[in-house]
Amino acid sequence: MGEGIPGLSQAYQILLTAALIFLAVMLVLCLIRAIIGPRVADRIVAVNMMGTMIMVMIGILTVMLQEGYLADICLIYAMISFLAVIVLTKVYMGVYLEKKDAEAGKKKEAGKDGSD
Amino acid sequence: MAAIEWIRFGIGGLFLLCGLGIFAIEMIGIYRFHYVLNRMHAAAMGDTLGIGFSIFGLIVMNGLNLTSVKLLLVVAFLWISSPTSSHLIARLEVTTDEEKDKHYRQVELTELEKELAEREREEMDAPTEEEG
Repeated sequence: MGEGIPGLSQAYQILLTAALIFLAVMLVLCLIRAIIGPRVADRIVAVNMMGTMIMVMIGILTVMLQEGYLADICLIYAMISFLAVIVLTKVYMGVYLEKKDAEAGKKKEAGKDGSD
Repeated sequence: MAAIEWIRFGIGGLFLLCGLGIFAIEMIGIYRFHYVLNRMHAAAMGDTLGIGFSIFGLIVMNGLNLTSVKLLLVVAFLWISSPTSSHLIARLEVTTDEEKDKHYRQVELTELEKELAEREREEMDAPTEEEG
């Protein structure tokens, strides 16, 4: 980053480090939202946001350290976080609907018993 | 040569700071809205515009090489996957919400059109009443 030009290398270092620190603070705020979020969807949205911010952090590290392979990690992270959202929503919805079905079945049976 | 490098640093830094600013706005939205479906609106902003600006700034800093193409691929993937995941989360919320009336109102499109027409008629009637 900016070799041979006085001051540029240091400027890059300061800017990228400041960006990393800012993103880390945002990440903590996201975590707080994930903990206090009253509904399950809140938590999933917060985790999704954390994934986006971590992707930007990995991108900044790619440029800062000049390591090209970190971009691959960023790509894989994007795919895994998308997969996590799909799996979480599907599993939670399946569990909820199953529970609801079971409750409805129980109620129906109870109603039958009462009428008999 | 040094001037061009400094300009590149400036443009890249500006885009990166824009992206970070959008992340900050996203965080404000996440804390100020009161319901998940509103919060998702703020969260989607960072997923598209925030990461777009940030990665574009990083690409400008990095110059044109294979790493930049990979970073661009991340943005392209996220622009496709973010609306999909938002849709899934919204469907999860609508399915599992037990007290719908507290949070939002569900209307059919025909009802909404009728309501809008009624409101329009009222607005058209209102000025004549004032004249009378």
